[in-house]
Formats: sequence, structure tokens, C-alpha cells
Amino acid sequence: MSADVLAFWSLAVVLVGSALAVVLTKNLFHAVLWLALALTGTAGVFLLLDAEFLAAVQLLLYAGGIVTIVVFAIVVTERLVGERISQTSRRIGAGAVVAAGLLLMLVRTIAQQRVPDARPEMAADLTRTIGETVLTRFVLPFELLAVLMLAGLMGAIYFARPDD
Amino acid sequence: MPGWVVSLIAPFIVLNAILGIVTYVTLLERKFAARMQSRVGPYRVGPHGLLQPIADAIKLMMKEDVVPDAADRPVYNLAPIVFLIPCMLIFATIPFAPGLGVADLNIGILFFLAVSAMEIVGLFMAGWGSNNKYALLSAMRAVNQVISYDLPFIFAALVPVLLAGSLRLSDIAAAQAGLWFVFYPVIGQLAFVAFIVSTVAAENRAPFDILEAESELVAGFRVEYSGMKFAIIQLGEYAHVIGASFLGALLFFGAWAGPGPEWMGPIWFLLKAMVVFLLVTWVRWSFVRIRVDQMLALSWKALLPATLVLLIGTAVVVVWRTPGV
Repeated sequence: MSADVLAFWSLAVVLVGSALAVVLTKNLFHAVLWLALALTGTAGVFLLLDAEFLAAVQLLLYAGGIVTIVVFAIVVTERLVGERISQTSRRIGAGAVVAAGLLLMLVRTIAQQRVPDARPEMAADLTRTIGETVLTRFVLPFELLAVLMLAGLMGAIYFARPDD
Repeated sequence: MPGWVVSLIAPFIVLNAILGIVTYVTLLERKFAARMQSRVGPYRVGPHGLLQPIADAIKLMMKEDVVPDAADRPVYNLAPIVFLIPCMLIFATIPFAPGLGVADLNIGILFFLAVSAMEIVGLFMAGWGSNNKYALLSAMRAVNQVISYDLPFIFAALVPVLLAGSLRLSDIAAAQAGLWFVFYPVIGQLAFVAFIVSTVAAENRAPFDILEAESELVAGFRVEYSGMKFAIIQLGEYAHVIGASFLGALLFFGAWAGPGPEWMGPIWFLLKAMVVFLLVTWVRWSFVRIRVDQMLALSWKALLPATLVLLIGTAVVVVWRTPGV
């Protein structure tokens, strides 16, 4: 077994384990920490695929940023010290059915594709390619995303403004 | 030597060098602060107090490790490690001389920024896991501060990236062979000031040390930690400051450039990083702590727009000075 394969399977175990822990842990704060581990594991998968740029962005935006904000949300929505809110899974059955259906669909779609055994070689520096295509071929979706974020930002300001 | 041996040994050497530097940087800071306040600083242990860091380390190792009854034990125990790992990983992409480093990734600076953003997870785990009002308040303030100062830090660090035209740290260092970026007219100085301010803030040092404001929050998020766990948190914090100092020396002072033969390169780099570190320390011991709202206003109303304008201005200058665009 080559080092790549070994690394992939170790990462896969960490990823699936932490993802399960996110939904199965009772303590909401622990769930967020498991989420951080899952997102960091995803960055590891990107690293294995030689996509260093995506791995760094994954850490910067998701593991660092999103987790920070989620934690912040937990803290401001519950009493600071004292009783802790816990995560309940009342509809665990229905959720499992939906998840299993989605998994089945994904596996079927992937099984129909012919996946080459060896990874094709990267044609050029991935970071450069991403930078160039985002500002040329995908410039319109990129700008639309920026407008969407601006709208979100203004919405947040609207809700956060003091009542007068 | 086979490749995998090198890739095992290089991190080991770097890690131990960092530990050594961190140990002695605490002495440097104490001496420096003492001189600023007309004191002598540590003097008793060894000549001129040179053995003080060793004595401190031994004392911390021998202290009792107390875990509060109400603490969230797994989170409390893991927090120092989660905090330390990113602080050590930031050294992975820093080249100490041409070709001398652990991993010279083509996204070196982005890796540095991304990994140092992970530090907040460990910090928040410490604050929450302690189950202590002061620690939690401190962790909340830390999140506030980190969200506010990450962006100016990134924008200030991106100015040298634009000037050099590469995200690879060794390329940025090599691009400064003729002119260190700190001497680049106007842009260089402004970016350096923004970098220092946001470094001081990102490292949670005075005047931005509201998350460990002694008079309000005792010792902030680490109030419940003692012994080795406390030492690990301190180690992580100092390692992060040293890492940021190395980054500052690399982005603005031309890294290993200096007179003398080639093997002097890493020594010059270390000296420059120490200059940046002393600059940060100088700020720390010169200003009084500012309030939370003042700190947030400084970031969102002044530093963020200013660095954004600076970044756009740099892009304009780079395009204007590049022939054939």
C-alpha cells in the first residue's frame, strides 16, 4: 500500500468519524469542535490531491472562520454560564432515511461514471489557473457572488441596527 | 540521504530551534521591558540572568496540574495542544535561506495565514472548557478581536505579495534583492505600519490585550491553567509572535539578504526577525490598553478601509509599472 493510499484511508476514517460525531454528540459545543476536525480533514484531502490553494482556503474560511462564527452564535444565544443547550435528534429515523437515499443516489451516479485509476497530471500551477479563470471565464458568477455577499452584509446590518 | 529522512529530520530541527528561540525570547522581552522601565530585569539566575528561562521551564514542569471540577475535561485538556499545533505549523513554509526550509509551498503565505487563523479554535476551547466566567468572557473578546484583525493582517501581508507577484515565500524574499519592500516609496512604509498594528492586535498583545486584561479578567482564557498546560499555552503564544516576526522580516526586510558570505543568511534573517519582535515589544510596553469598542472601531473604521485602499493602490502601481500590460 503506497503512502498516498494509506494517508487517504486514515483521513477517510477521521472524516467519517468526526462527521458522525457532529450529528450524534449531545453537547452542541462539542459538535462544533468535531465539525472543525471534519473541515480540517477535508483540507487534508485537498492536500493529498495537490490542491494546496484549496486546502489553505478551506482552513482559512471554514475551519477558522465558520467555526469561529458558529461558536460565537452558540455563546450569544444561550446563557453565558450555567445550563447548556444540548443537541436533540428527535427525528433521527426520518433523517437517516433521507441521508441513506442521498447516499444511494450519489453512489449510483458515481458508479455510472468511468473513473480513471490514475490521477491525471496537473497541466499547470493550480493556483495560477484558479486565479486566471476566476477573473476571465468565470468573472460573471464571481461578481454575482460578490453581490450576493454584499446583500447578506446589508441584511445583517439592517437587523443589527439599534431600534430608534 | 533518502528524501523521506530529510522530510522527517527538517521539521525536527526547526521545531527544536523554535523551542530554543522561544525560551530565550522571553528573557529578551523581560530584559527589554525592564530597561524601558529603568529596571534591570532578571539578574540572579546565572550571569545577567541568562539561566532564568531554564529555571522558569523547570519550575513550570514541576508545578501541580490542577483541573477544575466543573471543567469540560476533554475540551479543557485538549485545548493547549490544539492551540500549540497551529502556532508551530506556521514555521513550516518559512524558508530560512534559499532552499533551506521545511516546505516551500507555492502558496506559502496563504498557508501561514490559514494556519494562524486556526489558533482561535484552541483559544476558544480553553476559554469554554475552563467553565469560568472570566475565561469565557476572554474567549468571546478573543473571537471579536481575531475576526476584526484577520482581514487587515491579510491585506497588509498581501501588499508585498502583489509587489513580488508570487505567493511563494522564497520568491517574495528573492524579489527584494534590489530594494527591501519596507523602503518601497510610500506603499512599503504604510503597509509595514498596518502590518505591525495588526500583528500586535492579532497576537493579543498590549495595547490590544483586552482578552487578558488583568484588572478585569484576571488572566483571561488561561486563568484556570497551571503547570505544563499553562506553559504550553505560553509557548504557543510566543511561537506565534516569533512566527509573525519572521513573516514581517521576510515580507518587508528582504529575509536573508545582508552583507557577508552566504551562510550568514539565516543569521541575518534571525536578527531581522528579532528587530521586528522588539518593535512589537516596544509597542506593547509603550501604550496603555484600549477599550473593546475602541479596538473594534480602530479595526473596522480605520485599519480595514485603509489597508483595502492600500491594496488597490498597490495593484494600480504594479500594473502601471509593469511594461506591456
